Amino acid sequence: MPMYQQGNSCSSEHALQNGEVDPAVKALEARQDEILRKLYELKAAVEGLAKTVTTPDADLDLTVSSSLSSQSSTAVFTGTTDLDALLGKDLGALRDIVINANPAQPPLTLLVLHRLLCQRYRVLSTVHVHSSVSSVPPQLLSCLGPRHPDSHSRHMFQLGFTLIWKDVPKLQMKFSVRNMCPIDGEANVARFLFKLLAPYPSDPALATLVDSWVDAAFFQLAQGSSEERAAALRDLGSALGRSAWLSGPDLSLADVACYCCVLQSGSAPSAPASVRRWIKSCENLGCFSHAKTLLL
Amino acid sequence: MGWKRGWRRKLTFLFMPCVSSCFSAAEEEQQAQSKKGLKKQQKEAEKAAKKAEKQAKVAAEQQSAEEDDFAKDRYGVSALVQSQQKLDRTLVRVQDLTPEKADQLIWLRARVHTSRAKGKQCFLVLRQQQFNVQALVAVGDRASKQMVKFAANITKESIVDVEAMVRKVEQKIESCTQQDVELHVEKIFVISQAEARLPLQLEDAVRPDGEGEEEGRATVNQDTRLDNRVIDLRTTTSQAVFRLQSGVCQLFRDTLTKKGFVEIQTPKIISAASEGGANVFTVSYFKTSAYLAQSPQLYKQMCICADFDKVFCVGPVFRAEDSNTHRHLTEFVGLDIEMAFNYHYHEVIESITDTMVQIFKGLRDNFQTEIQTVNKQFPSEPFKFLEPTLRLEYTEGVAMLREAGVEMGDEDDLSTPNEKLLGRLVKEKYDTDFYVLDKYPLAVRPFYTMPDPHNPKYSNSYDMFMRGEEILSGAQRVHDAQLLTERAQHHQIDLEKIKSYIDSFRYGAPPHAGGGIGLERVCMLYLGLHNVRQTSMFPRDPKRLTP
Repeated sequence: MPMYQQGNSCSSEHALQNGEVDPAVKALEARQDEILRKLYELKAAVEGLAKTVTTPDADLDLTVSSSLSSQSSTAVFTGTTDLDALLGKDLGALRDIVINANPAQPPLTLLVLHRLLCQRYRVLSTVHVHSSVSSVPPQLLSCLGPRHPDSHSRHMFQLGFTLIWKDVPKLQMKFSVRNMCPIDGEANVARFLFKLLAPYPSDPALATLVDSWVDAAFFQLAQGSSEERAAALRDLGSALGRSAWLSGPDLSLADVACYCCVLQSGSAPSAPASVRRWIKSCENLGCFSHAKTLLL
Repeated sequence: MGWKRGWRRKLTFLFMPCVSSCFSAAEEEQQAQSKKGLKKQQKEAEKAAKKAEKQAKVAAEQQSAEEDDFAKDRYGVSALVQSQQKLDRTLVRVQDLTPEKADQLIWLRARVHTSRAKGKQCFLVLRQQQFNVQALVAVGDRASKQMVKFAANITKESIVDVEAMVRKVEQKIESCTQQDVELHVEKIFVISQAEARLPLQLEDAVRPDGEGEEEGRATVNQDTRLDNRVIDLRTTTSQAVFRLQSGVCQLFRDTLTKKGFVEIQTPKIISAASEGGANVFTVSYFKTSAYLAQSPQLYKQMCICADFDKVFCVGPVFRAEDSNTHRHLTEFVGLDIEMAFNYHYHEVIESITDTMVQIFKGLRDNFQTEIQTVNKQFPSEPFKFLEPTLRLEYTEGVAMLREAGVEMGDEDDLSTPNEKLLGRLVKEKYDTDFYVLDKYPLAVRPFYTMPDPHNPKYSNSYDMFMRGEEILSGAQRVHDAQLLTERAQHHQIDLEKIKSYIDSFRYGAPPHAGGGIGLERVCMLYLGLHNVRQTSMFPRDPKRLTP
């Protein structure tokens, strides 16, 4: 929902020659204020409802936003991460993350993470098709969203996210060619990108739990045999029966990875009830909804 | 040798008449002379006799040969083709000789690439541009011994008309392009005979400069090739290169025409050096002098001011630069673009890069045969690119270079080694051989470049690179006469010399930008070749004016 300007900056412009304000204009302004107030109340109510859906066991807490409005300035993750510490000193030029992906296997996890990154930073997103591929379907060309109006000035952005559709056997990420080796595999790239949003939990047991869910997602849900997939779904079911999200009260990389892999494997309809409820919670978060459109 | 051995004897022989009595000297001399003469005569007679014998033998052979030559109407050297008759005969192309034509009797015209006799057979390789096929003349009911001998003696590069039966072969003929068939020759006529001694051998000219089994075998150096260009251009590699070049030109025209561009022709004889600087050729022009155009820059811009909106031109460019490098020519073909835009010069960059991408795609999809042919002699990595084209800013390029250890100032121009290094770094990160570097520092660009609106150190100018080498330098042009005058003064250019240029912008000029590429350099870099002379048919450089 767009944010409407508060304040009466308009009224001063409508002053008549003798300094008085036309009563008709005053009436209009009063109506405008009334409508704005009603809109605000509606917005608060909807946001409150959204909270109950996403965090069923928590209070109506506004610190964790639902990002129903994709232009919301409050991001899902509000941890403290420092781009300079993670990516190296800013040498006065755009820090561009390059991801080479095969159009036959679109990396849904990375696209969800991209949305989350855009909420947190000023990200310049570009999609290219490499000459090793003759063509890609149009939804893969627009998968990073509409072009930013400032995209002609690369240096105005904090981070670059360059997605190249290429004939590669395995997804690969390149960042600083001198200081970093390439990162292979969707799971590993997802871990790297997630750490730009929020640090892993400091508790080693919890951190390992997140990692093991990420592995389960890619190795069992996405690439595993039908038995492995069924087993993973059962594990998901029991874990989600105990808590709203996979690694505790908050959304983590585990949820992002598992959601995307469940979706890609097509097992959503046959999943246990707790999993289906959790899928709905995910989809209520704006950053996940886009991933679904790419599967069509 | 004979003289040396017998010189003592001969001298004594000569002296002897002097030693003996005077009155018999003349007599004895005569005797000696007649002895010499006799010997000489004897020798000559022997020689003549031998010759006569030989001639008689040959004549006898010839006669018997002629008598036995049942095939004498099926081969020979044809009379000079002066259009004596209009034969309605279809000549099949070598590239069409496939198993589908098996057991058909066909005519074709090709060059004799090689001919080799082996007993009662003669193997020929007949060549037509990029394609060649094996042909066989064998003694049998169609060909005689004499015909086989004739075929074996046809000089290389001669043009022949051949009537032959197309036959499928059991084993693929690896050395020819047509591997599944061979020709069994029934008639062979020489249409144009080549001289026996060729200045260069075509097999040597296509041999890769290599290691391993090729090491030590002859190749032909560049100067020899260029001196005998007519023969060098016949090689399969040259044929492929220039066919691809023709494709580049055609794709350039077609893509721009589809985008609504108009092709223009600009004058090459001009009154003043457009870019300023000493690199122009002077020509005498009646009572005065004129120059050969360094680029169509001025005229492209005038066309935009004349409301043609989007123009391109293909024509020669003359640069009197005394550079003897692998990538400079004094005359080359320029493909230039100029375009009016609405609000931002990136509209023009997108148009230019899209044109380049369409050219690359067209070559990738339609000229694979030519690319593979060139790679046989000059192996290289296939050309890679991204769509849309990658655009990096100058500051990013500098940051990447600094990360790799290069020390340079923010406003320094890129040296050629730095350009190459940056090309490699970009290739490593993005896996593309083609990219744009945007927002160059203002200080290193020509006076007519539009400065950046927010940062006076930079400009709205860009370079494009293929395989790390610059192929295009372009910019948004200053379209305001006042600003243009200021910029020219800043660069200490004589305003009188560019008066007509500045005048073009005084009567309403749209914002515009453009750039130009060199056809030869683009082909060289696309194919991964290393010298621009390989992609120029008759190259011109400071040391070469012929052929």
